[in-house]
Amino acid sequence: MFTNLESSMTEEKQITPPTLHLDIAPKAETTQLSDKNKIEIREFSFFYGKFKALGNISMQIPANQITAIIGPSGCGKSTLLRSINRMNDLVPNIRMDGQIILNGENVIGSGVDVVDVRRRVGMVFQRPNPFPKSIYDNVAYGPRLYGISHRYGLDEMVYNALRQAALWDEVKDKLHQSAMALSGGQQQRLCIARALAVEPEVILMDEPASALDPVATLKIEELMQTLKETYTIIIVTHNMQQAARVSDFTAFMMIDNPKTRTGVMVEYGPTTQIFTNPKNKQTEDYVTGRFG
Amino acid sequence: MSTGTDLWLGATTKQLIQSKAGYRRRKLSNVVMLAITGLFMLLALVPLFWIIGYVVYKGGQYINLDFFIHLPRPLGMTGGGVLNAIEGTLVLTILASLFAVPPGVLAAYYVVYKPNSLLGILVRFGTDVLSGVPSIVIGLFCYALIVKNQGHYSALAGGIALAILMLPTIIRTTEEMIKLVPHSLREGSLALGSPEWKTAISVTLPAASQGIITGILLGIARASGETAPLLFTALGNENFEVGKIIQAGVANHQNVFAILGRIIGQPVDSLPLTLWKYAQQPYPERINQSWAAALVLMILVLSINILTRVWVQVRANRMQGK
Repeated sequence: MFTNLESSMTEEKQITPPTLHLDIAPKAETTQLSDKNKIEIREFSFFYGKFKALGNISMQIPANQITAIIGPSGCGKSTLLRSINRMNDLVPNIRMDGQIILNGENVIGSGVDVVDVRRRVGMVFQRPNPFPKSIYDNVAYGPRLYGISHRYGLDEMVYNALRQAALWDEVKDKLHQSAMALSGGQQQRLCIARALAVEPEVILMDEPASALDPVATLKIEELMQTLKETYTIIIVTHNMQQAARVSDFTAFMMIDNPKTRTGVMVEYGPTTQIFTNPKNKQTEDYVTGRFG
Repeated sequence: MSTGTDLWLGATTKQLIQSKAGYRRRKLSNVVMLAITGLFMLLALVPLFWIIGYVVYKGGQYINLDFFIHLPRPLGMTGGGVLNAIEGTLVLTILASLFAVPPGVLAAYYVVYKPNSLLGILVRFGTDVLSGVPSIVIGLFCYALIVKNQGHYSALAGGIALAILMLPTIIRTTEEMIKLVPHSLREGSLALGSPEWKTAISVTLPAASQGIITGILLGIARASGETAPLLFTALGNENFEVGKIIQAGVANHQNVFAILGRIIGQPVDSLPLTLWKYAQQPYPERINQSWAAALVLMILVLSINILTRVWVQVRANRMQGK
C-alpha cells in the first residue's frame, strides 16, 4: 500500500511540473498507433439539435492501453465518451456524423444493436451508482440479463468480477448485504465489478474518481493499471495529474471558439509527450495550468 | 451613502443593529408569530380529532363481534352486522387496485421518460382533467358503459368506477416518485446492456417503490371511502357473503374462475354505501349501526395505511443496509 503510494508519487514528480521537463524526449514508438487499435474514431461530429457539440474528431485508441481525454469543462469530453457506447441515445434530438469503429464495426450506424454495443463497452460513471440491491445482486445484474443463472456459474462470475475489481476481500463476508452501506470508494469499485461481470472489451470511465477521497482515488488508479492488461480503458478526467499518472495516451480537447462552442481535438499523443513536449501552444498552456 | 445617518430618527445603522429596544422588538415579534402559527396548527387539527373522537365515541358503543361476522337482520330486528359491506369493500378495493395500478404506474413511467411526446402531453393533461371530474359522473359513466350493457349491477362495474377514480392519484404520485430516482441508476443499468423494460422492472420502479406504494395507498384510501360512484354500479347487496358463494361453488364443483366470476358478477355493498343508506333510515338501530360502520371504515383504511407504511419502511431500511 505505502510502497505503491510512494512509487506513484515519485512518478508524479517525474511528470509534473511539466514545464521543467520540456527537454525530455518522447518515447520512440509513440506516434505510430495503428498497430493494435481497439477503437477508431473517424471524422466524428455530434449535434444536440442545432448545436454542434463535437466537430471532426479523429483518433485511434490502442488496445490494452489507458487513453485519457482531458480538457476544460464543456468541451465535449463526456459527449465523446458517451458516444462510444451510445449512451447519448437517451438524449432527445441528437445527431451523429462520421464513424466510431469498434473491432472493425461502426457502432454509430443505424442498424447497430445498441444493447450489444453497451455490453461490449462497459461504463463507470462519475458518481458511484450501485443499484439499491445487495452486493451480489449488483454484480449479478449484468450476467442475469443474458440469462446466466446459478447453473451456469453465476457465483463464479460474481467472484471473478469482484476479484478483478479488487473488492472481493472487503465484501466476501457480506455479499448479501445492501450495496448502499459500502463506502464511496468501495461503491465505485463495485460499479467497476458490475461492468466487468458482462465481460466487456472496452471500459469507459467518466471522471471515475472525482467524487472520491484521495485514498479511494489511488485504489481506483491502481486498479486501472491491472485492468488494462485485459481491457482497453478510456478515461475522461478533469484532473491533469491523474491523466499524467494513469494514462498511456492523452487527448486534449477544447472548444473551437466561444461563439460556436464546438469541441475539437487539439492534440492527441502519448501521455509523456502531451505533458512534457506538447506540439500545440494551447495544449502547453492547459497542461501547465495557464488556463482552463 | 457611507455614514448611514438619518436612516431612522437620526440613528446610525450601527446604533440600530446594537440597540436593546430593537432586539426586544425582534424577539417579541418572533414570539408572536410563533404563537399565531401554533394556534392555527391547533385549529387545523381540531376537525381531525373531533371527527375521529366523535366517530369512535358514537360507533364504539354499538360495535361488537356480531357486527363483523353477521349479515344485516331484517328491519325492525335488533342485532346483525355488516359483513356484506366489509367483504364488499374489500372486493371493490381489490378490483379497483387491479384495474388502476398497472396502467397507472406504467402510464406514469411513460410520462416521465417521454414528457414531450404527444402521448405524454395528452396523458398529463388527461390526468389533470380526470382528477377534477366529480365522482358521481364517473359512476354514471360506468352505469352507461357496463351496467346497461350487462343488464345488471355488479361489483365489476363498481370496481371499474373506483379504478377510474384512483387513476389520476396513482399516475401523479408515481410520476413524481420516478422523477426522484437518480438518473444515474437508470443509466447504470442501460450501460450494462439492459433493455429499457428490464431497467424499469428491476431498477427504476423498485427504487421508487416506496413512494409508488404511498401513492397507491392514497388512491385506495380515496376510493374505499367513495359512495357516489357506487350508487349506479355496485348498488348494494344485503345478502353478499363471499364465504357462501365459495361454499356453493365448491359444492357444485365449479372452478376458481367461475367462483371469482360469481363474486364480482353480482351487486355488492360497501361500508360507505351502507353508512349512507342506514343513516337515512328512521330506525335508531340502523342509525347506530351506521356510526359503527363509519368506525369500521376508518379503522380499515387506517390499518391498511399503517401496515403498508411500516412494511415499506422496513424494506427501504434493508435496501439502505441499515
